[in-house]
Amino acid sequence: MFRKKRKVQGDETILSLARIVGDDYILYRKEDLIAYECDGLTLYKGMPKAVVFPKTTEEVSQIVNYLSNCNIPFIARGAGTGLSGGAIPFGGEVIISLVRMKKLLRIDYENRQAVIQPGFVNLKLTNSIAHKGYYYAPDPSSQYACTIGGNVAENAGGAHCLKYGVTTNHVLGLEVVLPNGDIVEIGEEGIADRPGYDLLGLLTGSEGTMGIVTKITVRILKNPEGKKTVLAYFDRIEDASYAVSDIISVGIVPAALEMMDKTAIEGVEAANFPVGHPKDLAALLLIEVDGITVGIEDEINEIVEVCRRRNVREVKVAKDEAERAKWWANRKTGFGAMGAISPDYLVQDGVIPRTKLPEVLAKINDISKKSGLRIANIFHAGDGNLHPLILFDAKKEGETERALAAGSECLRACAESGGSITGEHGVGIEKKEEMRFIFTDDEIEAQTNIRSVFNPHNLLNPGKIFPSPSRCAEIKQEIITNREPVIN
Amino acid sequence: MVTELEKIVDEKRIVKSGDEDPFGNLGKCTVYPQTEEEISAILTYASKNGRKVFVEGSGTKKGFGGLLEKADILLSLSHCKGVVEYSAGDLTITVRPGTTIKEIGEYLAPFGQCLSVDPAWPEFATIGGVIAANSSGPKRLKYGSARDFVIGLRVVYPDGKVIRTGGKVVKNVAGYDMNKLFVGSMGTLGVISEVTVKLRPLPKYESLVLLSFSEKNLHEIRSFVIQLLDSMMEPVSLELVNPTLSNQLTGLEGYTLFIGLEGIEKSVLYQEMWIKEHQPKETELIILQQHEAKKIWSTFAKLAPNPLRIKEIDESNLEIGIKIGSKNIDVIELVEACHLMSLNKHVDVRVHGGIGHGITKAYVKGNTEAVLSYVRDIRSAGCNKGGYAIVEHAPYILRKHVNVWGDPPSYFSLLEGIKKAIDPNNVLNTQRFVGGL
Repeated sequence: MFRKKRKVQGDETILSLARIVGDDYILYRKEDLIAYECDGLTLYKGMPKAVVFPKTTEEVSQIVNYLSNCNIPFIARGAGTGLSGGAIPFGGEVIISLVRMKKLLRIDYENRQAVIQPGFVNLKLTNSIAHKGYYYAPDPSSQYACTIGGNVAENAGGAHCLKYGVTTNHVLGLEVVLPNGDIVEIGEEGIADRPGYDLLGLLTGSEGTMGIVTKITVRILKNPEGKKTVLAYFDRIEDASYAVSDIISVGIVPAALEMMDKTAIEGVEAANFPVGHPKDLAALLLIEVDGITVGIEDEINEIVEVCRRRNVREVKVAKDEAERAKWWANRKTGFGAMGAISPDYLVQDGVIPRTKLPEVLAKINDISKKSGLRIANIFHAGDGNLHPLILFDAKKEGETERALAAGSECLRACAESGGSITGEHGVGIEKKEEMRFIFTDDEIEAQTNIRSVFNPHNLLNPGKIFPSPSRCAEIKQEIITNREPVIN
Repeated sequence: MVTELEKIVDEKRIVKSGDEDPFGNLGKCTVYPQTEEEISAILTYASKNGRKVFVEGSGTKKGFGGLLEKADILLSLSHCKGVVEYSAGDLTITVRPGTTIKEIGEYLAPFGQCLSVDPAWPEFATIGGVIAANSSGPKRLKYGSARDFVIGLRVVYPDGKVIRTGGKVVKNVAGYDMNKLFVGSMGTLGVISEVTVKLRPLPKYESLVLLSFSEKNLHEIRSFVIQLLDSMMEPVSLELVNPTLSNQLTGLEGYTLFIGLEGIEKSVLYQEMWIKEHQPKETELIILQQHEAKKIWSTFAKLAPNPLRIKEIDESNLEIGIKIGSKNIDVIELVEACHLMSLNKHVDVRVHGGIGHGITKAYVKGNTEAVLSYVRDIRSAGCNKGGYAIVEHAPYILRKHVNVWGDPPSYFSLLEGIKKAIDPNNVLNTQRFVGGL
């Protein structure tokens, strides 16, 4: 696939896997594996044993069947854009990359469904149906690269979830290869409420620890008739925060309601897509309303009024699609933009009740002061999903550790406000220990018990989501499964 | 047993001899806990002593599944009610499971917010029951269903342990989405002791457009609906109703589309206009606004048979409720099939199906034989379309003869595995669910 044909040489495992996928579709030399040591989270790295690139569900099933018989752990991987390390090996796992399974299998406009393979890129779906006036709603910022298979694993969100929901609200059916190689189909034909426990809902967001998704049926939506975007500049972050709750309280659910603070604005303005936001702002809100055109005007007026009551400095409506696109490019590239003002940055992903915005932002400010690191805030304010970006310099001794600690403190602040430690990036490796901020040992055990139903030997993506066993039960489970632990 | 239970809840909250009921799902005694601690203590007692427990809200779903007539204990959550926490700015509410849909609606209305669900019998149906049975109504098209609005639960496991799932925020991917396990699980996994849901703003204006097609003109429905779905229209319901039901609800003959519109007044009126402009030939159109629309929807919510109002079963004229799942557009053919079949089978059938969400409901009245035969035929019609049919309401005696849930899915072993992982001793709602789970 990536080089001139060479005969595969390697141990029995490599040879067996090559027999399933073909010599061209396996990587096993160290120099070829380096790119797979990590995903979008680059702070942790591990060397996989091999990477295989199956083309069909049957190949995935054969690979999984083989590996499970040999007790070799394995990980499914899409585009590798995940930010919590869900696709990072600890060492020795076989990575099953689904990037070759990237077909759009079927579009059914009448029933508003599309069937795709897991390696299909998120944005390509919207692009494939846009000419008929349809789109796929979940829009993570990485949508130009991330795959829908990965979106299902992570239950990905995006800027427009406030009104339209996250991935789980749009997945209608899945074909899944279970960790023993069995192929099952749930939500066949995308039909709702099939009798039985909601496996569709359970598998979505299970971070690749219950099964490998090989086919996905998603809901597609008709474009709203109209769309308007508002930009509001505030001199006090509290005013911007209160405006967010006020908008919701007056009965408007915007399609998107985004916020950036002073440091974040400094970053995006220094990067590739500046809008020309004033430099001395405390915060800005980017608000989008969509729906029936005649109704939008009223909602926009109401939003402008709410902002005025909260002492907005300036509020303006995008005059055309070009301006709207410019504002959104500025926002959606916000994480990367931090590279313009800091050598390194760490993204966090806490969620809070939106009414707690002012107090949690104040706490994050304290964490920043205490750690001596700048923290920028770019976030989905409408649904309370914060993305504190901790700016640091990995070359400076101890800063990486301080950044990690500050990130964890931000999550603690979110948890203490009644929120959660992740809204869309997933737990992965990164936030395993922080799971204890919100779940008791019993609650964690309740979840690992469910994992065992699907993944009894914990061979599929081991070591993710859940903190290290702190209870006898889980340790016993490790002993019962009686395999050589590949990871600690 | 009663003596033991009296140590947990006040004796006034124990009805020692369970009631008789034609719908089964009874207990040798009924207990009415008021708190999560009491629920937990009851389940701890039951699981330690090998007692079987059935769970109910107010009892509107007594006819839904269940092959055992009586458990040791019937745990009623109807006294475990009230709002725990509400914050308008967060658009979420936390309530106890026995709170009825109507009570929650009335609590929220002054704040301009409402629940995202329109199930049958809102004055009786409890939020816990709606979640456990995954009930939804015609407005599901826009509102979604329980799996979309439940963001957090507290669940008492069969051994008495309290487990929180999800959280109190609208977006949350920490750990597995355990909420989903309990939505629609018919109380077979745990007892929901607290519920947090996402809300929606109360619509500022609403109307209901009735568009009636003659019985010979069915292909017109299809082309109209496809045109509507492909337009910028944003209906909250697109429910097709058979002639029998149409006549009963509106006096209109023929198959009638119930097109619900909600939102800002201007946009509702604009959408009404679109329908008028696109009205197919030989159809009748009536527009009901505000109060008039609400009135029809509240009658609609009383269509499903309600076990609380049926004390005796007459085997020569009994009623069952069927839920059919299909692809969205197939609803049109299924509603028609349900109607035509009723003419041959000598049963009286009222049907409505949501084009756009794929759920069709049929309420069938007739003698035992005819009703059973009707279920078989409808099930095969549903299955032929790749869908399914389940019996959502039937008297206990009938449930033994009709396979309520249909055949178990190919992945039944996973469902069994989940039940075993959570309720290994079958304490809760045993034999209530798919494949005897």
